[in-house]
Amino acid sequence: MTLKYNNSYINEVSTVAGPYVIYGPFKYDETFTDYYDNEETFEKCEIKNYIKCINILLGKCNKSENDIDLIISSDLLNQLMISNFMMNHFNIPFFGVYNACASFCEELILASTLIDSKKMNNIITATSSNNLTAERQYRNPVEYGYQKKKYQTFTVTGSASCLISNKKSNIKITTATIGKVVDFDVKDSLNMGKVMAPSAYETFITHLKELNLKPEYYDLILTGDLGKYGKTIFNELFYKNFGYYLSNYEDSACMIYDNNDKRVLAGGSGIACINLVTNSYVIPQMISKKYKRVLLIATGALMSVTSVNQKMSIPSISHAVSLEVI
Amino acid sequence: MSYIYSFIFAGVVCLIAEIILNNTNLKPGHIICLFVIFGSMLDTFKIYDFFQDNFGAGTSIVITSFGHLIMHGAFLGVKQSGFIGFLNGFFNYTTVGISATIVFAFITSILFKAKN
Repeated sequence: MTLKYNNSYINEVSTVAGPYVIYGPFKYDETFTDYYDNEETFEKCEIKNYIKCINILLGKCNKSENDIDLIISSDLLNQLMISNFMMNHFNIPFFGVYNACASFCEELILASTLIDSKKMNNIITATSSNNLTAERQYRNPVEYGYQKKKYQTFTVTGSASCLISNKKSNIKITTATIGKVVDFDVKDSLNMGKVMAPSAYETFITHLKELNLKPEYYDLILTGDLGKYGKTIFNELFYKNFGYYLSNYEDSACMIYDNNDKRVLAGGSGIACINLVTNSYVIPQMISKKYKRVLLIATGALMSVTSVNQKMSIPSISHAVSLEVI
Repeated sequence: MSYIYSFIFAGVVCLIAEIILNNTNLKPGHIICLFVIFGSMLDTFKIYDFFQDNFGAGTSIVITSFGHLIMHGAFLGVKQSGFIGFLNGFFNYTTVGISATIVFAFITSILFKAKN
């Protein structure tokens, strides 16, 4: 399902980045170096920095809470715990959404649809993830200190938000493809790249087919958080069907960290991964006209601790959103 | 020489664990359980005692020793008080290890916070 928008723009963005992300190549509005950041728990630290991220965005676009019609937010924790507590601090209507790491594009699609239908004028989309809160929910207790595998991705610590509005700006959201759930019967909860790569490819091909486009139409095709190995799978899938490799393809998981840092294993993951790369790299590059057309494909592994423990497979989903400089 | 033998035994056990970890989907918790079962099986057939006699302290450091001690205690319990002794003696030798784990974990959790 591909939608076209005429009236939806990214007006402003904000970013807050934490440990490991700050050693990467991009610059962020605010940074913190410790997983606690003077709070008692990792979760409280994530909530604090998420609130900070929204406040930075409101400050940058010079708007008050009353000017915002809706915040669409997502995070990785059960019941969207971080988003719920973050929204405690704002007097703004709230939608909590979850499509795992594909939530960023899901939020952009929802916001653009609402704005394009002229029901709302200003919507904030926000995402947050934290390495240790996600680790202990999805995998093992932090104190356990288990040995990680090299194909594992390393959840990004940070928050990012965007103001989507009908007010014209340089960056327009032009089209979006809503993905379908794909399940390739992968059961390894550590190998997220393998889980998500087929889903990213499916959505990508659907997007091209439904809009009758060629991959070269885009200056940059950016997938969410496939990691080094998932990126290779995506590349190979494309090669198998088209007979050549994409030169304009990148994966945000492979961009967000310092590539020489072996501690981050196969690269980044988490909801905030593609959002941080988009806000801190893609959008500035689009403003400086290096990229004119960008396709974002946020990829999400719809993993549940219960289903993994019951040895069920991990389904995945990807949504695509295209941005254009006007 | 006993130091070297100890080192070789514990090193080989760790090497096997590393090979399993790198080549299967098993998690560290699974491998620990696997080695406890392996140790108890070796003790059931008195093979672990042979290792202990020849490789010394190295055999009592690694996790296989936990399985060995469980079976050792169980067999002693059977000797002393029949079938019910099997259950009674299960944790005879391992009590020290389990209690120490609980006490040290408690103290560590009070004094330190997880950082990374």
